[in-house]
Order: sequence, then structure tokens, then C-alpha cells
Amino acid sequence: MSTRSDKRPFDTRVFLPRPAPRRWYGHGIPGVDLNRLGGKLIVMEGADGSGRSTQIAKLVQLLEASGHATVQVGLKRSTLVSEELELAKGGNILSHTTLSLFYATDFADQLENVILPALRAGAMVLADRYIYTLMARDLVRGMDEKWLKNLYGVALVPDAVFYLNVPPEELVQRTFAKNAALDYWESGMDLGLSRDIFDSFLKYQVLLTKEFKRMQTTYGFTIVDGSRSVEETSAQLKSKIDSVLKHSH
Amino acid sequence: MLKTFAELKFPGRLIAVEGLDGSGKSTQIYLLKRWLELQGVKVYFSEWNSSELVKSATSKGKKRELLTPTTFSLIHATDFADRYERHLVPLLRAGFIVLCDRYIFTAFARDTVRGCPPEWVRGLYSFAALPDLTFFFKAELEVSLHRILDGRPKLKYFEAGMDLHLSNDPYESFRIFQGRILEQYLAMSTEFDFLVIDANRPIEVQQSDVRNLLARKLNLAAFQREYPLPSPPSARPARKVVKVEPESVEDEYAQR
Repeated sequence: MSTRSDKRPFDTRVFLPRPAPRRWYGHGIPGVDLNRLGGKLIVMEGADGSGRSTQIAKLVQLLEASGHATVQVGLKRSTLVSEELELAKGGNILSHTTLSLFYATDFADQLENVILPALRAGAMVLADRYIYTLMARDLVRGMDEKWLKNLYGVALVPDAVFYLNVPPEELVQRTFAKNAALDYWESGMDLGLSRDIFDSFLKYQVLLTKEFKRMQTTYGFTIVDGSRSVEETSAQLKSKIDSVLKHSH
Repeated sequence: MLKTFAELKFPGRLIAVEGLDGSGKSTQIYLLKRWLELQGVKVYFSEWNSSELVKSATSKGKKRELLTPTTFSLIHATDFADRYERHLVPLLRAGFIVLCDRYIFTAFARDTVRGCPPEWVRGLYSFAALPDLTFFFKAELEVSLHRILDGRPKLKYFEAGMDLHLSNDPYESFRIFQGRILEQYLAMSTEFDFLVIDANRPIEVQQSDVRNLLARKLNLAAFQREYPLPSPPSARPARKVVKVEPESVEDEYAQR
């Protein structure tokens, strides 16, 4: 019979994340006290097929193993407008400004009703995309950057933003491995880049990547090579998350 | 700075009416619309908060009291953008006179009272051009309040400004809320060249003022249809060809 003594003892230590100063991108949400927000806001950005959800699942595991409560949010998940937004996209009937404001409403609803309460409770919030995707999509469509910055002045500055970088050619392969079809919006078909969806997808992803690279300097994303294996990417992320949490081991 | 549709060289013109609930502005704009239609002017009427698609989200948010000042502001901006881009702008390009029951100033006033920074709200709406004319129906606060409250209606949560926690009594809350909105309107009046209409007077007197002002400021003849509209197919008799009087044709169009 095995006894406890020949195994490693359980590591029962749980570390508090070190608090860091918080700020909004603009005026923020009226009436919210930043000093009352604990936890961490960690954002995962990247195209469809870049491995965002896989990596978030891995991060959740890692964080929970370390004793942190986690909450997940993503685009188009608000109680307020998610259904209507889905309908609108299906019918392809909304113009740019409207769609942009609709997404902003969805974002603000989740920010106020999920993200901020979770941070107040001291949880780790993992966001599957944040304002950057929304801004990149709009910028590619020619919307005014100043207008977008004002609009998203309501957003909280995250503790970390990871951008999973995967070349468009590989994104296509990964998408096909999953769906065997390209999504109308993710291919930027509304932009009229090409009538061929495959062609349009490649062109659109290149445009988006350019926007993200440009935004990187302003917003300080951490670019992670997403073209490697799940384990390798996850290991890269783990080391980066540790420095965000700044556990004092 | 923001420009009007005329300054942006649109062939159409946008006329907005603003004022408190109960100021009588909806009655006045309705009468203005009827008059213009009967003059054969190409006219289109648009109401605040009426985009079909956004409506279901807005009413859900209101019914379930899900809205915060920020999302309240954003969802109304979404509604406005949808109407602006799909209806207002194309009609103005086609040379229509577009009448708007409430325009961006309603958002400026309400959202600011709800605690959103004014610069942020103005930034949200900066994609929209300014109206060519804005009629502001200025009634005594008590008069507007009486018109709404005398029937002791059931005031809706957001309508009464209950989300601002001004008072636990919806009627008292509504009073304070409307008073603050009025202050915002008055503060904007000069900045945006509101044509102030004294709304304490009889309906006919106000309407006469509105029609006179409009006729003086716009060359209405330029917006008249060159040809009367054909009647819709269903209204046409199958065989007999009947000559339709122009005026009744306009009437039918208006009732659609």
C-alpha cells in the first residue's frame, strides 16, 4: 500500500495578485470607483482560428489551479443586445455606424454588468476579444479613429492584452479544419475586397493584422506567436501571465 | 464644427422639433407634416427611438431595467444611427424635407442629466449633421408637467428618470428630471440657434408661427413634387380608367 509519505506533499499555497494602478481609456463609466476594483483583466485578441478559446481554457485551468476565481466574457454575449446583434448581422442590413454603436452597446453592457462586478469581487476576468477587435474592424472600414477613441473612452485599461498572431494562410487552414466554410463577416465580404470569399478572407485578415500592428504601439499588446503548437503557445502565455500577477513567491 | 445639411450641400432639409414631454411639439410637427403634404411638398417624418431593429433591444432594456446611463446613451445612439443612415440621409439626398420629432439635442440633454460627460455624448453623435432648423417648444415646466401628469398615467421607469434616484415617488422624480432637462435645453438654445416657440399659447397660434417661420426660412416651392404621385395599384380600378384628383392622391400617400 502506498502511503502519503512517498508522494510529494500537496502544495496548499495560494498567492494574492499584486495590485496595480487602474485607469480608463477616456472618462470611463460614470460613478465607478477605480480603487474598488481588484482582480485582473486579461484580454486575448486574435483572429478566428488563432486559438483564442483554446488558450483561454488553458489559462482558466492554470489560474484556478493557483486559487484564483475566473470569469469569462466575449463579444456579442450581452443580455441587452446580443440577440438583436445576431439578427442584424444575419440580415446584413445595418450600416457601419449603426453596427459599430450596436457592438459598443454590447460591450458597455458586459463591462458594467459582468467585468466591473467581477473585478470588484476580486476575480480574474478573461476577455475573449475586447475593444481592439471592434476598433480594428471599424478602422478597416474607414471609420474615424477619433470618433472610435471617444466611443471606447468608456473602457477600462486591461492588465494585459495578448495578441495571438497567426499568418492568414494558416488561419484559412485552421478554419477549414473546423468548419469547412468561411464566415461572411470574418472574411470581410461587406467590404467588397473581392467577390471570391477565399480571396476576400486573405485580404481582410491582412488588413486587420496591419491595424493590430499599428495599434500595438498605442495600446501595448503583447504579441504571442500563435502559429506554434497549443502547448508551446500556452507555455509562452504562462510565463507572461506570471509577470502580470507578480506573485511574490 | 458640425454643419447643417444645407451647408453640406444636401438638396433636402432637416427640420427638428425639441422640447419636454407635454410641450405639444408632437402635435405641432404632425400639423406641419399634414400641411406640407397637402402643399405637395416631399416630406418625411421620423420619430425618436423608432428603428425597428434596435427597438426590441431598447424595449427589453427598459422593461427589465437593464440600462445604465452609458448603455442608455449607446442604445439610443444606435437607434439614431440606424434611422440616420438608412432613412434620413438617403431622403435628404433625394431632396425631401425631413421632419424629426426629437433629434440629437434630446440625447445631449437627457444623457447629460443622467451623468454622461457632455463631450462624450456629443462625440457619439458627431457623425450626424445639424438640422437646418430646430424648433424648440418652450412651455412653462408646470404646464408640461400638468399635460403629462394630470391623467395620472403610469410613468415608465426610465421616462420618470427613476434610474437617477431623485425620488422614490415616480411623479416627484419625473418633475425633477424634466426640470433638469429643461435647464439643459435652455443652455443649448443659443449655441444651436433654436427657434423658440412659446408653447403656452393655443395650438393654432403656435402652428401659424411655425408655418410662417418655415416658409420664410425655406423656399418651399423648391421641394414640391413636379408630378403628383401615382396612386398605389390596389387603389386603381381594374378596368375603368378614372382620373384621380391630385389632392386626394396626396392624401392617400399621406395615410400610408
